[in-house]
Amino acid sequence: MAKFVKSTWFKCITVLLVISVISGGLLAALNDLLFVSSEERTARAVAKIYGEEITVTEDDIILDTASADPEKSSPIEYDFGRIDKIYRVNEDYLFQTVGFQGYKYGTVTLWIRVVPNSGAANIDKVILETYSKQTLMSKFGETYFSEFKLTDITENYRNGNFFSPDGGVNSNPNTGATLSATACCNAVNCVIKYIGENLDEN
Amino acid sequence: MKTDYKKIAFDGVIASNPTLKLVLGTCPTLALTTLAMNGIGMGLAVTFVLICSNAIISCLRKVIPSEVRIPAFVLIIATFVTIVRLVLDKLLPDIYDSLGLYLPLIVVNCIILARAESFASKNTVLASACDGLFMGIGFTLALTVMGAVREILGAGAIFGFKLWDFQISFFSSSAGAFFTYAMFIMTFGIISSAIGKKKKIKAYELTRAALNGGTEQAENNAAFSSVNTCPAPISGATPIAAEQAQKISSGITGQAEKGQSQNGEKTQTQTIKEEEN
Repeated sequence: MAKFVKSTWFKCITVLLVISVISGGLLAALNDLLFVSSEERTARAVAKIYGEEITVTEDDIILDTASADPEKSSPIEYDFGRIDKIYRVNEDYLFQTVGFQGYKYGTVTLWIRVVPNSGAANIDKVILETYSKQTLMSKFGETYFSEFKLTDITENYRNGNFFSPDGGVNSNPNTGATLSATACCNAVNCVIKYIGENLDEN
Repeated sequence: MKTDYKKIAFDGVIASNPTLKLVLGTCPTLALTTLAMNGIGMGLAVTFVLICSNAIISCLRKVIPSEVRIPAFVLIIATFVTIVRLVLDKLLPDIYDSLGLYLPLIVVNCIILARAESFASKNTVLASACDGLFMGIGFTLALTVMGAVREILGAGAIFGFKLWDFQISFFSSSAGAFFTYAMFIMTFGIISSAIGKKKKIKAYELTRAALNGGTEQAENNAAFSSVNTCPAPISGATPIAAEQAQKISSGITGQAEKGQSQNGEKTQTQTIKEEEN
């Protein structure tokens, strides 16, 4: 035992363990201090969409998986995506959706603003919230998400017009390269399906 | 040994610029320089990690066994990269989003590992922190200037402010990144080699002036040998060349004296033989 304690192996393991423990402790403390909560992220997304800070009250929440109210906390699930949050902001509706079947089976979370327009509803703005495994999503800028505008969601739903990753958005005029993301399309399609089904029922 | 902070600063920013001279950290350089702001963001993040990791590694250089030094360095670097990520996500979410994948990849950035291995693990804490600071400044400057050039040419803007409608989209593409990087390395190489040549000429002239006090033969030999042994004299090697020249010249003089004496002996022998005859 004494021989092992004096050995280089023991010293190596001890040094690595001590560094790991100190680093872990420091990061845990900083994580507690700098953690960005779900509410803060929502506030950021709303500010990004409207260009100003808007407070979402409890009455504005139609669906929120983080809500304490059991009626509002169950997400709406489809084969290709999921709706986690629906807020009513002024006259508009904000959807937080997660698109499945992305690159490496990754997911993309988007915020989608739906604007009611004389009995119909239009997709007005789409912004990226977060993503997992989709390592190149930071390359998808505003130009890509501005392509997701859609007039009269119900009509498109009835005609089976959903967003498809085929084709994509031209990202480079020199090479003709295009950007396309299945998970992004699926996230927007969740809103088309939800609104299409609900407006058809009503 | 006294640390030369001036040299550390000069090396970090110019002489051993990590991006343009050592060609390290190429991946973020090519990917993130579409905008000048990205360059600043990435540069500052790397600078922070460099300063902190260099200082801590230098502190622990006598504690960390050499067998596990690389895993230990990576652990320390990863800690600081995570801190940068937490801070940026909380305080500067836009920059955090734009840096994307390249922010966690700082952990395996060659500049940081190279400085940890070659400098911080052998020098004092203050010198290592200074090295980190100036290497970081060199990296930030290179990325920002490259980003500015690509943003001006590729998007007709600078730091997000629109300058004109004219734009060459090639400079925003990956091929444009390689082209711009190559142009920067070439320009930097030309300028630094021109400065280097000037220094060499100055050093050569100084050597000649220093040798002026010697004999005429020694001076000629010194000039001859310094030109022949070192056609493009290096500033640091010039005194050695001068020493060599003096040695060679004294050697030649010695040989000449020896030759004279040998000649003298032969003459004496010849004289004796002549007398015998």
